[in-house]
Amino acid sequence: MIYYITSIALILIGMYAVLVKKNLVKMIIGLSLVDGGLHLLFIAIGYVDDATAPIFSKEGLSAAEMVDPIPQALVLTAIVIGLAVTAVALAIIIRLYDHHKTLNVNKIRELKW
Amino acid sequence: MRKIITILFLAILGYYMVDLMNQIPFGEDRMNVGRHYLENTIAETGSVNTVTSIVVSYRGFDTLGEVTVLFLAATGLGAILFDKRGKKRRKQNASSLVKTTSKLLYPLIVLLGAYVFVHGHLTPGGGFQGGAIIATGVLMMYMSYRRFETNHKALTIIESMAGLTFVSIGMGGLILGQGFLANFLPLGEPNMLFSAGIIPIIYSAVGFKVGAELTGVLDTLLKTIR
Amino acid sequence: MNLNFSPVHFIAVPLFAAFLLPLLGRISQKLVTLVPGIVLLYLSAVALTLFPQAYNEPIVEIIAGWRPPFGITLVFGPLAAFLVTMITLIGFVVWIYSYRFIIRAPLEKYYMLFMLLIAGSTGIILTGDIFNLFVFLEITAIAAYSLTAFLRDHNGAEAAFKYLLIGSFASAFVLLAIIILYANVGTLNMADIAVRMGDVPAKIKLTIMILFIVGLGIEAELFPLNGWAPDAYSQAPSPIGAVFAGIVVKAAVYALMRVLFTLFDLPTSSHFLVVMGTITLLIAEMSAMRQQQIKRMLAFSSIGQMGLVLVAFGLGTREGIAAALFLMFSHAIIKTLLFFSAGYLVFFSGFKNISDLEGVGREKPWTGFFFSLGALAIIGLPPFSGFWGKFYLLISAANASHIFLIVLILFSAVIEAVYYLRVVGRLYFKKLHDIEIRRTPFTGLLAMGILAIVTITIGVYPDFIYELVLPAADELLDKAAYLQYAMMGQ
Repeated sequence: MIYYITSIALILIGMYAVLVKKNLVKMIIGLSLVDGGLHLLFIAIGYVDDATAPIFSKEGLSAAEMVDPIPQALVLTAIVIGLAVTAVALAIIIRLYDHHKTLNVNKIRELKW
Repeated sequence: MRKIITILFLAILGYYMVDLMNQIPFGEDRMNVGRHYLENTIAETGSVNTVTSIVVSYRGFDTLGEVTVLFLAATGLGAILFDKRGKKRRKQNASSLVKTTSKLLYPLIVLLGAYVFVHGHLTPGGGFQGGAIIATGVLMMYMSYRRFETNHKALTIIESMAGLTFVSIGMGGLILGQGFLANFLPLGEPNMLFSAGIIPIIYSAVGFKVGAELTGVLDTLLKTIR
Repeated sequence: MNLNFSPVHFIAVPLFAAFLLPLLGRISQKLVTLVPGIVLLYLSAVALTLFPQAYNEPIVEIIAGWRPPFGITLVFGPLAAFLVTMITLIGFVVWIYSYRFIIRAPLEKYYMLFMLLIAGSTGIILTGDIFNLFVFLEITAIAAYSLTAFLRDHNGAEAAFKYLLIGSFASAFVLLAIIILYANVGTLNMADIAVRMGDVPAKIKLTIMILFIVGLGIEAELFPLNGWAPDAYSQAPSPIGAVFAGIVVKAAVYALMRVLFTLFDLPTSSHFLVVMGTITLLIAEMSAMRQQQIKRMLAFSSIGQMGLVLVAFGLGTREGIAAALFLMFSHAIIKTLLFFSAGYLVFFSGFKNISDLEGVGREKPWTGFFFSLGALAIIGLPPFSGFWGKFYLLISAANASHIFLIVLILFSAVIEAVYYLRVVGRLYFKKLHDIEIRRTPFTGLLAMGILAIVTITIGVYPDFIYELVLPAADELLDKAAYLQYAMMGQ
């Protein structure tokens, strides 16, 4: 249960950062925190008590004592997606900083929010 | 004021989520499709690492999408920062201790990365992890040597060729009549390096691609910031 | 050997082209502009070849040789065939338009992103796997963020950042929904999930549904989650604005409907859809009235039309869903036409404001003509396809005896008439400002001409499309049949 609560806490902290912080980079850090929390939550869901990693690396390991491999495979995909979004976001921030010379979201809003 | 509203909103959301997760007991075996993968991975794919067999074989299409997402990030970054490229990086000088250590470690890190992606079907690891390790090695060199440069053209070509390899292998399976991304090579003996059919080939392509792409992203970002 | 066309081509070929373009860019820039066109032409050919097959018997393509629920499948039924054909054809027209419109470097990056956008949106429609749908949703979204900022001005970057922030929240919600779903059913194939959905407690089911509606609703421009749309539409290059309205949003609406109709029982969500659709429609049309910039006006009009589509889906009857699909098709054609012509109108005057377009219509007869034609079509005047979309919706609303909806649809048509005719009036009945007039390239006119001919043809022979959307509506309603063939009889 502690794993669930930790990951939910991470998600909420991330959302707080996105909604409240004024600095563009901090907002992106918030997004990454949300992603991280979601990934941990997913991994936690796949866990089975007293089970081991789903790799048959030595003799005598049986499929019955392994954790669910699907969440791990999916989280790998989700991590890469999060990374891609962060990279594009940073590029956009560089553009914005170049023009406005600031990272404060209040001073950048020219279009309607 | 805004903070208070946000905190209230998040508190309600958090309470609701914890309440929800209470109904999904932790550590309970809820496997359904996952059980099938665990029991049949060696017989069906020849890969002893179940996660790898899912990522590359059972859900290989997801991985193609994943590779595409990374490619997309590199392309998008290049498009958005197009006219800002080619600037000189800030000259930063690391101490000779750092320099010497990096020089020693760099080939080892790249080797480790290659090891990780080649052995993706045997040990924890795979193309994404291996590629990321290689990119870390490059980042370390960037940080310690001010004149360190990567060949951008070569990176683009590696990126494209690796992507084309992935799609071509997929199309190969389709043309041979077994479906897109289907395995058409012998499975070999489990736990050997040359086993698991197309999995090591795809994972090597992914490793090259991820390594080249992350390096490209780092390079682009480093050169735009003055 | 198997060289037949297969639904996989819709995703694999554009991906292949996208990976190939940087290499081609080293050889010649001409190839970079030509190859995407060839790819889209090929995809249209594949779509038209597979079309009759899909209507006879849905094609289920197994990826990597693993039968469902263990592998990923592509499900190419009537609905998917209809939407994919629409997307490839519009993609091809957008390419014709881009041919001379996008001349700024980096050309190959533009076409790479465009190809990936097409691959992503067709992937959303084809896939039969919920996590795979998430992956394709993200491919589409990230390509869209990058293309919004493609012009590299600060407004574009700002619109892109806003879109990215809201879009990332959307994807977080979708991912959370998938996580909770997986924890309860332990499988990812949508048909398999639908079978096992009965064992899931009602409260968890409701949570998952809300998360999906929020997450996919952001991409589908559902109120109040559509704040990104006006900025992204107006700041992106014009062909990309058309792609957003014609392709991206349609794919997102499909995803939302597939999830609501297949994973959940409809009655729980149908009233909700009608209410949300109505609010979306009213607020968007009101906002469109107040816009000064022509592309922002088009964006709000697009949101309004999506509201209408949601209302039509929410009716939940066969006729209602058929009307929704007809509206989607007609809107994709007309809004693309409007964005194309508005793109050149803005390009001529050099300003984005409606007031700067006074008299341009007399100076540029063809572009002005196409814009006016699109405006008349979207209001819903008779010989155009827009009329029939609204007509079928009115009929189905009357059959379901929703008098209130009939009033609403007519009322929205009146508002649309007001703000579109205002622009058309300015184009023709005002004196021209002293501005430099530039030529419209032939390819631009060709793209607009094709769309104008399509909208008139469908306006004259609406039965042709209506016959096609009825089986598609059946596919969405007949859950048992979908489960049967998507699971390949298991």
